[in-house]
Amino acid sequence: MINGVLVYTGKGELIVSKFSKSNAKRSISDIFRVQVINNLDVRSPILTLGSTTFHHIRSNSRDHLWLVAVTRSNANSGAIWEFLYKFDSLLNAFGLDNETTLKEEFMTCYELLDLMLNVDGVPLDTELSSVSAKMSTKPLHSINSPSDSSLDNSSSPLSISKFLNRNNRSMSVDTMNTEPSNYPWRPNGIKYKKNEIFLNINEKISILVSKDETILKAYVDGTVDLTSHLSGTPTCQFGLNDSLSVDEPNYYNSDDNGFRNQQNIPRATAGTVVLEDCKFHECVSLDKFNRDRIIKFVPPDGHIELMKYHVRDNINLPFKVTPNVINSRSRTGLDYRITLKSLFPSKLSANDVVLKIPVPSSTVDCKLNVSNGKCRFVPEESCIIWKFAKYNGLTENKLSAVTVSSNDTTQLMLQQWARPPISLDFEIMMFSNSGLVVRYLKIMEKDQKYRTVKWIKYISRSGSYEVRY
Amino acid sequence: MSDQRIFTRYRADEIKAEFQNVEVKKFKSNAMKRKNALRKIIANLTMGNLNEMSYLFPEIINYWKIEDDIEVRRICHEYIRKLGPSKPKNANDALPYILKDLDNRNPALQIMAIKTLLMVPSPDYVDEAFRFVSGIINRRSSSSDVLKTSIFALTQLDDINHDRALPLLDSLRDIISGDHQINSVKVAALNTLYTIHEKNLSLPNLNLTVDASYDLLTILPKLNEWDKALLLESLICVCVPQTHNDAYDLIDMVEPQLQHVNTYVALNALKFIIYITNYVDHISDNLSKKLSSSIIALLNKPPELQFLVLRNVILLLLSRESLILNLDVSYFFVEYNDPIYIKDTKLECLYLLANKDNLHNILEELEQYATDIDIQMSRKAIRAIGNLAVKLDENSADECVNTLLNLLEFGVDYVVEEIISVFRNILRKYQDQYKSQISTLVSYTDSIHESDSKNAMIWIITNYADILPEYLEYFRVFSSHILEETLEVQFSILNSSVKFFARNISKETEALCIEILKCCTEEIDNPDLRDRAFMYWRLLSLLQSPKSEINVEVIKDIVDGELPLIELNTKLDPAILEELELNIGSIASIYLKPVSQIFKQIKTKQLPSSSVLNQNRDSINIVSNENLIHEQKRSQTDRFSDINHYSEGRSIPSKPSRRNTIMDDYDKPAETVNQLKGKMRSSNSSSSLLSRKPTKLMRKLTIKKPF
Repeated sequence: MINGVLVYTGKGELIVSKFSKSNAKRSISDIFRVQVINNLDVRSPILTLGSTTFHHIRSNSRDHLWLVAVTRSNANSGAIWEFLYKFDSLLNAFGLDNETTLKEEFMTCYELLDLMLNVDGVPLDTELSSVSAKMSTKPLHSINSPSDSSLDNSSSPLSISKFLNRNNRSMSVDTMNTEPSNYPWRPNGIKYKKNEIFLNINEKISILVSKDETILKAYVDGTVDLTSHLSGTPTCQFGLNDSLSVDEPNYYNSDDNGFRNQQNIPRATAGTVVLEDCKFHECVSLDKFNRDRIIKFVPPDGHIELMKYHVRDNINLPFKVTPNVINSRSRTGLDYRITLKSLFPSKLSANDVVLKIPVPSSTVDCKLNVSNGKCRFVPEESCIIWKFAKYNGLTENKLSAVTVSSNDTTQLMLQQWARPPISLDFEIMMFSNSGLVVRYLKIMEKDQKYRTVKWIKYISRSGSYEVRY
Repeated sequence: MSDQRIFTRYRADEIKAEFQNVEVKKFKSNAMKRKNALRKIIANLTMGNLNEMSYLFPEIINYWKIEDDIEVRRICHEYIRKLGPSKPKNANDALPYILKDLDNRNPALQIMAIKTLLMVPSPDYVDEAFRFVSGIINRRSSSSDVLKTSIFALTQLDDINHDRALPLLDSLRDIISGDHQINSVKVAALNTLYTIHEKNLSLPNLNLTVDASYDLLTILPKLNEWDKALLLESLICVCVPQTHNDAYDLIDMVEPQLQHVNTYVALNALKFIIYITNYVDHISDNLSKKLSSSIIALLNKPPELQFLVLRNVILLLLSRESLILNLDVSYFFVEYNDPIYIKDTKLECLYLLANKDNLHNILEELEQYATDIDIQMSRKAIRAIGNLAVKLDENSADECVNTLLNLLEFGVDYVVEEIISVFRNILRKYQDQYKSQISTLVSYTDSIHESDSKNAMIWIITNYADILPEYLEYFRVFSSHILEETLEVQFSILNSSVKFFARNISKETEALCIEILKCCTEEIDNPDLRDRAFMYWRLLSLLQSPKSEINVEVIKDIVDGELPLIELNTKLDPAILEELELNIGSIASIYLKPVSQIFKQIKTKQLPSSSVLNQNRDSINIVSNENLIHEQKRSQTDRFSDINHYSEGRSIPSKPSRRNTIMDDYDKPAETVNQLKGKMRSSNSSSSLLSRKPTKLMRKLTIKKPF
């Protein structure tokens, strides 16, 4: 399927080229460099020349490596792009996502590819935990630490969990037990001193508001990230307040011991959530979910993205932006009056709230006045940036701005300006845009009786939060 | 780390010297240094420094003999893989060492050795590869990883020597039907068999009985994601349902996989189900909901995968209209930060999804995009509006035309050009409906520079000359510069001038016509244009000769005949659609072209025939849930006794209409209202800095993107 994998630096220097077929010519790497990397106007992530196809992605890291797959047949693009993204996350885990290290340690990359692809270039296995078990070098971020995303470094009260990570974690794999496990993603004989499980509900809300304040679309893309440090081969199970499972007749008496949240979240306030669709990690038994709406799984060790979901109805919008933009009295500028209001409970607060307000590209200066927060005009990006480090719930703030255009601006130019939407970025802890709540989380292990420490955290972020005016 | 950089060009003797240095001094750190030197070789091979590195072959062999370290081995193998094809002699010298690794107890080394054997196209290598692979496959005793590698290696060996691989295929069949312990080995065998059958025109299509497929599908939940996808992929066109019940059972077994997070698995499950729907007589609306929501969820992936999914949405919309999928248009609204390829594709989806009910929403969106910064995007949006007017009925066309006229006021050249181009199509479909708008359109004659829109404008002027009193004035804007125009525009000018003359014989039109004919025959070199001008000329001169039977009416008929009504041809050939449906998720599905047009030597996928194959794809009914439960009770099989339970448990809640929700619905009064205080301040220090230095300011202004 994948005949070759190429890795280039951001500037186009080839660092890794690994082919699984002898008839692939080496000059192929130059072709890609000329056609895509050096081409400023690339309009597609896929390029077919003759019968050779290049799929490429840019890595998420700072250096923006080019990860390229070369194929010579009608291969499955879904497989290839999924593979490239998995490859990227493995490079990241092994600390190879920057140019300097990669240039020294590129053999690790060859080793990774050896494990991930078989002779015919079909992906074999891309799960971090099982790949790194076979690697001669160990990943940079130990698989035991939860995701290295910025969340865990933030100053939220929940970073306490990080503190616990450091002290109590010690893991050993009983290598004597070589009998293959029933679960391809989990080796047998994992042991921890202290069993912990972390569940992060990450939500990204996307909304598009038209000029007349009509909501053109609003949806939440959520993921449930799981980090587990559990001994043995435990079976985990958790339930959500999604409408289908809640509607079941045995909703309340299904699990008396596990359902400890029942008092805390009465049905009336939590409500139910209509999950338009959910996708699960390979460890979740999909049959079970389809039949009983129970999410049951044997987790791989370490960090995984357990579930993805999508919600469209009854979304809790955290912010409302009311823009009012008119031509200013000077006729060559625009007059902005924007109200930003938070709609979430006043007990909570949002972090890093940034409102980005585009101005016409001919603007040389802005006269600004804001009721709170920091505001400045960024001529390079032709926009006004209004920032709040912390934004309390149920609070309203106002901005007033007048743009001053360069002298050669005409009124027609302002009229013809495309008016890119105003966009908003934010992050709110312990708030769920969709109203999704974890009802219970149970961990069961046949052979071993043990207690597990469970952590559940909700984070709501902005996806594409756009307001037209 | 090393004292020298690894990724630099070295000469062979530099690296040789480094090796010698390491050998002389016996330090503990030597192993590391040696490895660094070896890495330099691979780095240089990557950079294309092949000739120089080929001198280092003796060193490589030397370390192969004495080092046990797996990384050193990997470097040695990589060296042979990269250089072997061009240096067959060296490769043959290295063969014994590769064979030694092949017999090693460590499966990782064995796999490495097989891969190397396959990379070097020398007869000896191929021979050894065949010997080893057939040994492993027939014995089936070694570690599962090695067995899997050997099975997959068969695909490549088959490319090299088909006849020799053929007998091994029977062993693969045994593995599939036998009770091999490890499921992923079965999948590997099936996939290899499938690929080999696909590649070779001499082999018939692979075929598995429905029962055998059931057995394979029951292991689906126990496989890892890639194996799941491979299994589903390999069963398409291989497992052919013989009764409707077979088909329903197969769908039920695969359906859960639609919710897999991996696009490859989810799309393959979708492909499998779509394939099977060719063998059913109805589809439950539940299934259609599941397929749709699976697609929507995949739109939450990185942009490249979103792109793939969107392209396949286009495919499904083309082949099934909106029968199987039920997608809300708002998912296809373009976001400002979407990469251009996604914007383009979403636009096409919007166009295909448009119908009378959602037209208003879609037009509002398209109007937004028409003023997008990206010129191509903007043009495509306008084109889409125009095409919608032609595609839908008259009432909808009115709305589209109004939108276009609004955009015309925007006044940017390329927007105007594109609008004029699409208006030609609209006017051809609705000849009399928009006569009142013609004068507005032609008033933009001066702002048109592109040949396609010039053509369109000329056509509009010519066709509506009867309601434009000063049509010749407009026409002269183009005809006076005929020499500078592109060939197509020259053709239109010529045609139109003759039409004017034929319709209305007057001094003015005659002069114009003769001027153009002269110009085309005497000053323009293109033979086609000249020939056509001569043809017209002769035709017109026949008018004057008394003997001929040609009169003005006949000429009018010839040059100014009735045009056929236009129709938009968005449909692809059904055979191509059928083939593309079987290739969902593949490269061909992105280009929406038949596989044989892009790749050579591939069998065209076709639906295998069966007694229950639907002849017409659109004939499948979608049955709502309640009816289905009833029917399923009848058709219950023992194997799937829980289907019933499953379908009862899910009452799909009726979705409240969510379009046009006003934001105030969500509004809550704020507890704290911070009011503006103080005066307006000039924005930032940097801009005042700028205004002090006019040169810098100028630069700042000039680097800004033009609109």
